[in-house]
Amino acid sequence: MTKSCAERPDAHRPSEVLNTLKQLGFGAVVSVPDGWLGEMLVRIEQEPTMRLVRATHEEEALAISCGIRLGGVRTALLVQNAGVLSMGAGMVSLAQRYQFPLLMLVSYRGTPEDPVFYHVPKGRVTEPVFRGIGLSHTCVDRHRPIGPQVEQAATYAEEASCPFALLLSREDVQW
Amino acid sequence: MVKAARPTRADYYRALADSLPPQALVVTSLGNASYLWAVLHHAPENFYFEDAMGLALPLALGLAIAQPTRPVIVVEGDGALLMHMGALVTVGAINPANLTVLLIQNGVHAASGGQALTNAELDLAQLARASGIARADNIARPEALAAKIRASTARDSAECLVLATEPDLDVVRPPAVLEPVSTKHRFMTAIGAPRYIPTLFGGGRLESA
Repeated sequence: MTKSCAERPDAHRPSEVLNTLKQLGFGAVVSVPDGWLGEMLVRIEQEPTMRLVRATHEEEALAISCGIRLGGVRTALLVQNAGVLSMGAGMVSLAQRYQFPLLMLVSYRGTPEDPVFYHVPKGRVTEPVFRGIGLSHTCVDRHRPIGPQVEQAATYAEEASCPFALLLSREDVQW
Repeated sequence: MVKAARPTRADYYRALADSLPPQALVVTSLGNASYLWAVLHHAPENFYFEDAMGLALPLALGLAIAQPTRPVIVVEGDGALLMHMGALVTVGAINPANLTVLLIQNGVHAASGGQALTNAELDLAQLARASGIARADNIARPEALAAKIRASTARDSAECLVLATEPDLDVVRPPAVLEPVSTKHRFMTAIGAPRYIPTLFGGGRLESA
């Protein structure tokens, strides 16, 4: 485990997400933003050891991530849950078929705590769809430090040779 | 643009094989794009797509980012490009000098039997330029492709070459089974990609990280 195990209970969780990615040697993040992720992307762009790629569509972002990982660089995908819904074909026929280890940090919109009403239809189906396409995933436990949870998700992706999605709440990613 | 009396995919592939720069990495789209390249130039540095139509270009972009010192050449079809045209914009925004995009423009969905494209007459080179890839040309002769590939290592930005091509609908039998996970492992071994060391062995990192 990284130093993030010692994360203070009141730590700024988005900062801990970014710190954990750096500590684990992630060299690239590929993203399609949403309202929660925007500032996180700006912070990543300012990191000298990380490369941010802004894609036009989440399935494209998935393929770019696979290419970066194929080239030997550890890669995270930072997208909204709606974006995962729209990348199903690439997920099964590229990322899973070729067994690419990818950490997917996914903003979980449309839960009862999300004030934006139009995300609700996506929130309702997110986890059933993930199960349907065989996408390993878990929801962040807000009562535990976020850093170790990111590390566990990243480790799972590598050691199971597959994408792994960590579903994040607003306080986990909105700077 | 699609013209009459076009060269075949094999014509272009022979020119590509004869002009490949040292240490080139080649990503090929699904169907004959991969099968024929495997027949003519099977190598560990090839990454063959089994399916995932439209995703060869963005994967190659990621590879070019991760391997900036090696030439990366991707073969994508016109139908595949139409499925993910946004990838051209992302390539244009990043413009990696080591990335060469070869678009097979045959006017049909060849890999699925030759169905008509939504629009077979688009000027894809113009589309690439509008997407931010300043170096984009229509190519109608294999010799012109070879000349472009030979000059590619001296570029300062990405290049997109649209190859006017006769459709090839008969499925080519590759020389070996192109099993996806084996393809990936062979490729990563060939380029010396760092291995992941499991946490059980004190790792949890890529070996060079």
